[in-house]
Amino acid sequence: MSARGRIRLRLALRNLRRHKRRSLLSGSAMVLAMALLVFSRTIAEGGHEEWIDSGVRMGDGHVSVQAPEFRTRRTLDYRLSPEARAAVRDALGSEILTERLVATAPRLMIQGLASSSAAALPALIVGIDPEAERVFSALDEKLEEGRWLEPDDRLRAYVGARLASRLKLKEGSRFVLTAQDAAGDITGQMVRVAGTFRSGIPEMDEGYIQIPITTAQEWLGVPGAATSEALLLRNSRDVGPVRRDLEASLADWEGDASVLEWRESMPELDAAVRMDDWADYVFHIMLFVIAATAIVNTILMSVMYRTREFGVLRALGLERGEVGRVVFIEGMILTAISGLFGMALGAAIVWGFFRNGLDFSAIWDMEMEAAGVVIDPVIVPRFHWNQILQSLAFILVIGSLASVYPAWRATRIDVAEAMKFEE
Amino acid sequence: MKGAWWRIGWRNLGRNRRRTLITVIGLALGYSAVVVMTGLSRGLVAEMIDNGTGMLTGQLQVFAEDYLPDRGIYDTLGGREGIDVEALVAEVAGDPRVAAASPRVYAGGLVSTGAATAAGVVLGVDPEREIRVSRLLTYIDEGRAPTPGQYEILIGREMANQLDASPGDEVIVVAPGADGSLGNDLFIVSGIFSTSVTELDLGYAVAPIEVVQELVALPPERIHEIAARVDDPWAADAAAAGVRALIGTDGPTADVRPWTEFRPEMVEYANLATSMEWMLIVFVFGMAIWGVANTMLMSSFERRREFAVLLALGGGPALIVRSVLAEALVLGAVALLFGVAVTVPVLAWWHAAPPDMSWVYGGFTMAGGLMRPILRVEWPTSMIFITGGAMFGTALLAALYPAWRSSRVPPADTLAGR
Repeated sequence: MSARGRIRLRLALRNLRRHKRRSLLSGSAMVLAMALLVFSRTIAEGGHEEWIDSGVRMGDGHVSVQAPEFRTRRTLDYRLSPEARAAVRDALGSEILTERLVATAPRLMIQGLASSSAAALPALIVGIDPEAERVFSALDEKLEEGRWLEPDDRLRAYVGARLASRLKLKEGSRFVLTAQDAAGDITGQMVRVAGTFRSGIPEMDEGYIQIPITTAQEWLGVPGAATSEALLLRNSRDVGPVRRDLEASLADWEGDASVLEWRESMPELDAAVRMDDWADYVFHIMLFVIAATAIVNTILMSVMYRTREFGVLRALGLERGEVGRVVFIEGMILTAISGLFGMALGAAIVWGFFRNGLDFSAIWDMEMEAAGVVIDPVIVPRFHWNQILQSLAFILVIGSLASVYPAWRATRIDVAEAMKFEE
Repeated sequence: MKGAWWRIGWRNLGRNRRRTLITVIGLALGYSAVVVMTGLSRGLVAEMIDNGTGMLTGQLQVFAEDYLPDRGIYDTLGGREGIDVEALVAEVAGDPRVAAASPRVYAGGLVSTGAATAAGVVLGVDPEREIRVSRLLTYIDEGRAPTPGQYEILIGREMANQLDASPGDEVIVVAPGADGSLGNDLFIVSGIFSTSVTELDLGYAVAPIEVVQELVALPPERIHEIAARVDDPWAADAAAAGVRALIGTDGPTADVRPWTEFRPEMVEYANLATSMEWMLIVFVFGMAIWGVANTMLMSSFERRREFAVLLALGGGPALIVRSVLAEALVLGAVALLFGVAVTVPVLAWWHAAPPDMSWVYGGFTMAGGLMRPILRVEWPTSMIFITGGAMFGTALLAALYPAWRSSRVPPADTLAGR
């Protein structure tokens, strides 16, 4: 650094130190803005991840493998044969997958009718593997009465509470499931209620039944088959690489097995998350603009009433540009220090007070459903390196915005006028 | 004397136009942000309620007392004897807030083409009356609504995909009847509807009410429900009370429920959105307060000699406090004018032509109501005023410290230029 550069830096630092109140005032706006940004970003991020997580747990996982046409046709004609399922199992052994995979579960899904002596109601009947599902699904935690399915269960069913009540079923009651089997015949299957669940999602509580997958396969005449293999991943950000890897391993099975990510298998959840993302962006941009005007304003003010001081600097031999640079350095140092402090403060507040989650149940005590997902009123904030980058970018943009214009203003000062001015 | 304070405040703002302008823009931006965001949030709530109640359920339902929560096929209005359907429908439509009413029968069953089978709810309606109550019949994108008296059925798009059926195809509908028998009949697919709500498109079929009654062995006087439309959803509670009074106690024991009771989660969401509005005000003005405080601090710093003169002449500190606060209030007023001038046209335009967002996200349901991918805005009338008040509050609050400081200016030192 040149000698003059050092002088400029010293001048800038000294200016900040000399006017402690002014520096504090300008800085505190920045601290507040950054702390707010960190807080709101981590909450938004945490809320999202949780939303996706509970959505994919209830549904088809982050990534799922199904026959290409199953998504639109939803009939047994479009199922994964035992051979295709074996290929999927093989594909799961790859390095990319083992690192990111939490659980995998086969499902055999069919639309059918559940009937008791009281009524007959449409239901989505899902054959599951209780062992695999225990890790995967959150449905076993939603138990209301009785118990969840166990590995050696055969003719047992886990039924949505509203459905059970409409069919007047209790734990142990018998009822009949009716659907069209693989041969095209309408067939019935008698099962007993093992337990009932209440998920908070109206469609599920009113029309969702789980039975052991082996029972479903036998009943529908599709031994060893499934309609989908669902994969639960550690993080929703892993979806891309996992999908590519799976598609590569299953290249030979094109036409029989296709890889879907949650955004495709749950378009509604995707839409809701996107719209929420969008609202977040709008909100953060607004926060940004308001914070920016407040900060630019404070720094600009501090320049405008230092006319005389800049006049003296010019009279002592600093060039126009140098005065500007002093102001620029001042602004950058101030925003950088207060910005970093604000980030730290925001992180400390989030970590210190809300590390176990921010409880919104005071304002919404009911189970809220959106896009087929029950939103948990306790949001656990999440940090992601992206947020740090965003915050740093925010500091940089605000810093330069808040420094360039005042610096330019400072270069426009007329020395003679400034010195003449007697307050 | 009163007017003088405003004039002094106004003049002070004019002394440093640029500074005033920046502060006013900051405040006005905050105002716009809050009002537009609340407008958006209310648009969201209105969209959810409009679609959640208007698509199928209606804003008001009348059914037998023991129909809920199980919605049993036997639990018809008036019990086994049934009711005079026309008379009751007329009574429900008799309340001035009720725009239209329509009788319904529900049956659960299988719809099959032989090759494929789907399970769903078969809704029996009078198509001519139903279209005035719910919008379900307006979503037909292929074919037409079923003709009264004919064995015709309207099915959802997803169900049609699953069955591989199109208008004109024959389907068999199997449904357990109220007498314990298993009813089955041949229907012609009259059309296909597509609401974008998967639950409806996959699990609902609509047929003429008398045909469904025959299918499930119910006589014409036995129906499950009368659904009614109330144009202002928030008047549904009052309308329900009105209908209850009209039906009276001498008729059949019937339960009248507004949507606020059978869709409580939507009310809950609306309340949540309201509390979010308040948080937004605190957030935004919490930031804006710094800008105002700073401006006031600067401006009162510049005026310290003036204050010193006033103090030296014997004007008490209260005089100075008042002068600074007056300036802040004038600043608030200017910002409010500015904010309203910008916000109201934007809202008016936005309300009239909500932008299409389908390039960012598709439709989805929230608390059971479809959210179309448009950014709809409703007038946040109360918020336009409340936010204005909050802005004045912010300006005043921000001026308190500068005002206090100004009143503490040491007159002798200041006048001596020390």
